Amino acid sequence: MRKRVVGEAGWSHSAIAGAVGFIYFFPVLFIILTAFRNRMDTLATPPKWFFSPTFENFYHIFYRSSSTTSEYISTGFHMYFFNSIYISGMSVILALIIGTLAAYGFSRHPLKGNETYLFIILTTRMLPPIIVIIPIFLIFRLTGLAGSYTGIIMMYTCFNLPFSIWMMKSFFDELNTEIEDAARMDGASERSVFFGICIPQVKAGLAATSVFALILTWNEFLFALLLTNKTTRTMPNAMARTIGGEINVDYGLLAAMICLFLIPIFFVTYALQNQLLRGVTFGTIKK
Amino acid sequence: MSTLELQNLTKQYGALTAVNNASLKVNSDEVLCLLGPSGCGKTTTLRMIAGLEFATSGDIFINNNNVNNKNTRQRNIAMAFQFYALYPSLSVSENLANPLYAENISSEIIKRKIGEIAEILQLKNILKRKPHQLAEGEKQRVAVGRAIIRDPECFLFDEPLSRLDVQLRETMRGQIKEVLSDLKKATVIVTHDQLEALTMATKIAVMRDGLIEQISSPHNIFAKPQNIFVAGFIGTPQMNLISAQFIKKENNICQFNIFGQNINIKFAQNYELDPNVSYTMGIRPRSFEFNVQQNTETFSGTIELIENMGAEILLHVKNDKNTLRAVTSRTNNLRIGNKIHLAPKINQTHIFNADGKVL
Repeated sequence: MRKRVVGEAGWSHSAIAGAVGFIYFFPVLFIILTAFRNRMDTLATPPKWFFSPTFENFYHIFYRSSSTTSEYISTGFHMYFFNSIYISGMSVILALIIGTLAAYGFSRHPLKGNETYLFIILTTRMLPPIIVIIPIFLIFRLTGLAGSYTGIIMMYTCFNLPFSIWMMKSFFDELNTEIEDAARMDGASERSVFFGICIPQVKAGLAATSVFALILTWNEFLFALLLTNKTTRTMPNAMARTIGGEINVDYGLLAAMICLFLIPIFFVTYALQNQLLRGVTFGTIKK
Repeated sequence: MSTLELQNLTKQYGALTAVNNASLKVNSDEVLCLLGPSGCGKTTTLRMIAGLEFATSGDIFINNNNVNNKNTRQRNIAMAFQFYALYPSLSVSENLANPLYAENISSEIIKRKIGEIAEILQLKNILKRKPHQLAEGEKQRVAVGRAIIRDPECFLFDEPLSRLDVQLRETMRGQIKEVLSDLKKATVIVTHDQLEALTMATKIAVMRDGLIEQISSPHNIFAKPQNIFVAGFIGTPQMNLISAQFIKKENNICQFNIFGQNINIKFAQNYELDPNVSYTMGIRPRSFEFNVQQNTETFSGTIELIENMGAEILLHVKNDKNTLRAVTSRTNNLRIGNKIHLAPKINQTHIFNADGKVL
């Protein structure tokens, strides 16, 4: 394998790549800068590039001045933050566990009409969510799941399952089954073949699947809007509430919220990036 | 003593019969090669012996015990896989030790055994490496090592040398043969490479479309093929298979019409031949005498093509519409377009009847 030297592409290519990269990153950068501006600087035209940074936006996310008294009261945002982490985390873990087991089954012990089942699983993702949201809302209200953690976690797990089954199946399909046979001959049980042989080989797939599923869930708005209540509300909804119904939008506050919103995803992606790169390029490299 | 026996083993996948009534027996210290073209059912047979697939019908006996319903581990068989199947996350020594863990052997003994195997297969310097850091030949040796580290009833090898380059293949062929002759266990090797089979096996089973066509010693498979398929499959360059019309017989000399020529061929045994049956005659390219003079025992033709094979040359000799292949030493100064006369050597001609069976 040829070792790639950093910067090998040369200055001109690097400069073009840098320019393109900057164009992509600019909106995010602008949001991050806005989060540290005070209200005056935020609304300045042309935008103020040099300003004295302030943390007041971040403070206001969690505490807001009351309209009746001069005291600062909690906005409950820390709870929404926790809700987002808990709900998307749980649903991704569940979807990953169920999806991986299902994918292994579909890959190693195909049913009669295996492809049909896989197709049916995928059809659940073919409808736009807005079509199914009304019956789901009614079902949730009838069963009492509306507004509960269980309900929204179940919803998101179902939402992530087709994707994780299909993705993990392709990873299992790519494995050399001889290794599993060798393990069986060495006396491994079916359970240890799965956990000891297959799972370590699809780590990259698990990482890629979990990051993609996490991003989908983390950003999801519609289901969360209708199926959560005040105590189970997630970040995207909490952010939306700062826009709607007010006389003017506090862009600084919103930008600060977005900054906080980005942090968990950023860390997860960063922690898994090595696995992730291998995951998304899986199958494109000669074994 | 360990023996392996298959009785009427059949495997069906839906309408497809992958293995059809295979019966064979391998004694301890015998090496049986399952030889055949791709898709003939040889790997399926091996996997059924290993217990990785279950037979549709038929029986498998290991040491005269029926193991039909036993799983892979209970059969106590070791197998080396075509793609080596090394555990990617484990080092070479851990890979070697893995079959022993299940046997609850003390770490002292495991360590000693790894040392022994490393000695035999020259793995000492790579014991700490991971499979992806190994060369093909090293991976292959580790795979063999992992198979022989236990003390199984019999060994199975699935295309053990197919992924090695020619030189390495020759070296490994010798090494594996040496190791196997020391182990004295019933061994089955699957291969599509006849050279591998002829050199490593004590017994060869030639398979086609799920059927075992012939089981015999390497020499017999080559010298006494039972049917046209085995005759054509074994031996490079391929045997000439020519349709022949029997005319008459005087003592052991039979006259045939071959290529529109009447040719007398002398046989050691007395064949009962029928002028109304169309026979196929098999003559290996190396079984010709290069006669200068045309006579009643020679095929005549023109050299159409000369293929260089190193010390020898392969001639394509054309007569009207038919072509014969003949091998001769390159010292024979032959040119394309030369007319030559070939006489089959005595006792090296095979006659097959209309069903393709040897007479």
